[in-house]
Amino acid sequence: MKPLVCVVGGGIAGAAAALAAAREDVRVTLVDAGTGASGLCTGAIDRASVPEPPGPIGPIEDGARAILDALGAYFVSSAGALFVSTGGVVRPAAGGDASLLDVARLPPGPVGVVACSRPGWDAAALAVAWGERYRVFDAAILRTADERAVPDADFAARHDDPERLAWLSERLREAVARQGQDWAALVLPPSLGATWPRAPELSRLAGLSCGEAIGLPGGPAGLRFEAARDQALSAAGVERLRARVMGIQRADGAWRVLAQGATEIDATAVVLATGGLVGGGVEYAPAEGMHATAVPYGSRPFLRLTLDAPAVLGVRGAPLESPSSLFGTTPEALAWPWTEDCPLERAGVVSTASGLFAAGDLVADAPRTWLAALEGGARAGRAAAQ
Amino acid sequence: MAVAEGPLPHEQVDVVVVGGGINGTGVARDLALRGARVALFERNDLAFGASGNSSGMIHGGVRYLSTAPHVTEESCRDSGYIQRIAPHLLFRIPFLMPVRTGAMRRVYFELLDAYFRAYDDFQDLKHSEPHCRLDAADTLRLEPGLVGSIVGGITFDEWGVDGGRLCVLNAVDAVEHGARVFTHTAVESISRAPADAAAPRSYVVQARDRRTGAALRVRARTVVNATGAWGPVTAALGGLDGANVRVRPGKGIHVVLDRRITNYAILSEAIDGRQVFLCPWQNVTLVGTTDDDYYGDLDDVHATSEEVRYLVQGVARTLPGVRTARAIGTTAGVRPTLFAYGPNEDALSRDHRVVDHTADGAPAVYSMIGGKLASFRLFAQEAADRIASRDLGLQAPCSTHARPLPGGSAVPDAVALSRRHRITPVAARRLIYRHGSRALDLLERAAGRPRDLDVVCPCEPVLEAEVRNAVRREWACSVDDVARRTRLGLGACGGMRCAARCGQIVAEELARPPSWGRTTALAFLQHQARGRVVALGPDQARQEALVAAHVRSSLGSA
Repeated sequence: MKPLVCVVGGGIAGAAAALAAAREDVRVTLVDAGTGASGLCTGAIDRASVPEPPGPIGPIEDGARAILDALGAYFVSSAGALFVSTGGVVRPAAGGDASLLDVARLPPGPVGVVACSRPGWDAAALAVAWGERYRVFDAAILRTADERAVPDADFAARHDDPERLAWLSERLREAVARQGQDWAALVLPPSLGATWPRAPELSRLAGLSCGEAIGLPGGPAGLRFEAARDQALSAAGVERLRARVMGIQRADGAWRVLAQGATEIDATAVVLATGGLVGGGVEYAPAEGMHATAVPYGSRPFLRLTLDAPAVLGVRGAPLESPSSLFGTTPEALAWPWTEDCPLERAGVVSTASGLFAAGDLVADAPRTWLAALEGGARAGRAAAQ
Repeated sequence: MAVAEGPLPHEQVDVVVVGGGINGTGVARDLALRGARVALFERNDLAFGASGNSSGMIHGGVRYLSTAPHVTEESCRDSGYIQRIAPHLLFRIPFLMPVRTGAMRRVYFELLDAYFRAYDDFQDLKHSEPHCRLDAADTLRLEPGLVGSIVGGITFDEWGVDGGRLCVLNAVDAVEHGARVFTHTAVESISRAPADAAAPRSYVVQARDRRTGAALRVRARTVVNATGAWGPVTAALGGLDGANVRVRPGKGIHVVLDRRITNYAILSEAIDGRQVFLCPWQNVTLVGTTDDDYYGDLDDVHATSEEVRYLVQGVARTLPGVRTARAIGTTAGVRPTLFAYGPNEDALSRDHRVVDHTADGAPAVYSMIGGKLASFRLFAQEAADRIASRDLGLQAPCSTHARPLPGGSAVPDAVALSRRHRITPVAARRLIYRHGSRALDLLERAAGRPRDLDVVCPCEPVLEAEVRNAVRREWACSVDDVARRTRLGLGACGGMRCAARCGQIVAEELARPPSWGRTTALAFLQHQARGRVVALGPDQARQEALVAAHVRSSLGSA
């Protein structure tokens, strides 16, 4: 029987670890209880926590490149990408979801901001905010009255229907003909597909580059990640188990993963890719949350792993300590914007036993960076398989 | 009515009011209605301090019934007047006071019942229901979340109002009667002007716009210092002896929960025996309040996690569900209580006083000290009566108890309005809550621009037209200011969905660049996060980290 690698966590780091391990001569099982932070991603692929200045992006590890290819729904541009956001900024990134419009790669000419009555989308205001080359582009892209109000993800799901996508391209074509101008590209609100990036297909049908602006977390980009991941994992023959992992124990020189529903998985190596607080791998447990009036018995760190494993949490490589007060750490010490180095954002797994690997943006000490999670995941998956 | 702008070189007014809280806007409105020319200066924003951060209860002062029944009568009568002039801005707060079992508690319960029987005599003045005495089973039926052994409960009826909105409406009405209002404009000095024939006695007030740095100068016959906890600071600017205007600044906070978690305001006892409460308030719940001497920066008052823990512990003793409720923020303000050395904070008088500075060598300069939201109108009337008759020679009587505040003349039907303008009934209802009959004008003006009817803040909800209205007619010039006027971004999502858009609109209205709009949105989100994190529970922590991540990736963290 081939050795088994068990990956805990289904975000980008976990998916990358599972896909990397599956390329070696091992069996792979991925256990997750839902997608955390990666399901809330905006679609931008960043390498640094604070978006880097626009410009060339350094080399990407081969393992990570192979996994991006396997996912198929993303691009990384060596020259660096630029995305517009509904927050009104033009922000650099290393790459992104194929539905996002990379405005760094456009031919000269005005970029149309497609006007429509959607929450948080004022084409006129955004065009001014993004800069000179952006102009309001009038087109009737809402088909039913409820589309003025449905959430971005629901609206995006409607464009998974080929007939609807063709209808949208017709509206855009009509509008281009009516306005008789040479447009470099069109920016739409987050709306182009929930199960796959539909922007390339729409661009082909409409005859010019179309793409989305970056929206709020929890939009369609997260759904597209889940769909691309599921497709890639099943193509790679990775076994999936939908369950919450409760604990990881040593067993005869190997590891036993205990999942909810009395499931046990015996694995040669385990990759912990459970994410931080947003991902759900870490929980905040203040002392006063437990009892109404009693002083808590004993004290322990205010953040802890949601599963029982021989790993500790830390911030920037330093393990978290127990608080020295009866009622725990004061929240003011933890969170943005009281403190720049916010443990709520930065706490992750810092040290692990042999055969137990950790991966993720927080392990790499680079919160919110898709690329760091991807590269770290690929590395951990490969190491676990060997 | 356009917002007054630009400098007033040596302009002559009758009265300069310093302070844009409820006392300042109240007295400015009162004097403007009597025909005085008024200019009001506010250092921050209207309702920035205690007025905008109070629970907004216009209660009858049931606490004072045994010691000063005339205060109770005055409070109840004035509460009735506020209801008459701003019927749209009211909401009912039925109180439930559970009485625990214990030594002598049955006797205490009888006494309490008798006490509230006496209070019932005043309830008619403010259109409230008489109290009810309940047995233990009925008390638990009304609020099944109560714990502990109780002998019974008492209900009594009070009214609440949005304090920030009340200030703004007073200011708007003052301006419509000729007053001028300058927000974010700090008074720098108040000095005697050289006497001349036209104005034998007048003062020169110098102020500076804190955003642009522009200087302003006004000549006034009288000056009113209505700056609440800032009172002694303002008096010092006029070279007055601070001893006459001493306040004992008492900081109070509330924890805001994401929805109405009870039907009744529930009273409970904190660990030190103080009374604390949990109260359904508009579409959220408030837990309050603390009262602690405060010596910090008045421009930057915020709740601490220790205060939050104290309140939650106190309320959880009666209603443990409060521990698992989701806190979405805190408010903090500083009460300008009359000074006394010795008594603990709760025992301090909530009375008010108009201080005449003639003895300090500054005739016709007054300080309004103390007071509370519930009787602001009466306090304003007392100050205005004195100024109008003694200093300005105006004979017109006070009319603030009878003339409705803007929008208070009628309360339109929300469903009809929502049909006519194709907005949701909830949006119509909240719009009417804030604007009363003026909701109609606001929607009429928006009719030509369909975008104006879009919802900017889905939690409250707030329409785009209302944001623009806040900037054009209510002196809002940041996302924070808009939130104070409309409650935009103060709901469950903490501004995640609306702050950036609101910043865009404010920037557009003020002809500022979009980057400025992002900066003001970011400032609002940071301010909210700071208030929220002190009440952080296990379930909010995740959202908090997500908010930070979102803000950093889409707005930048500068």
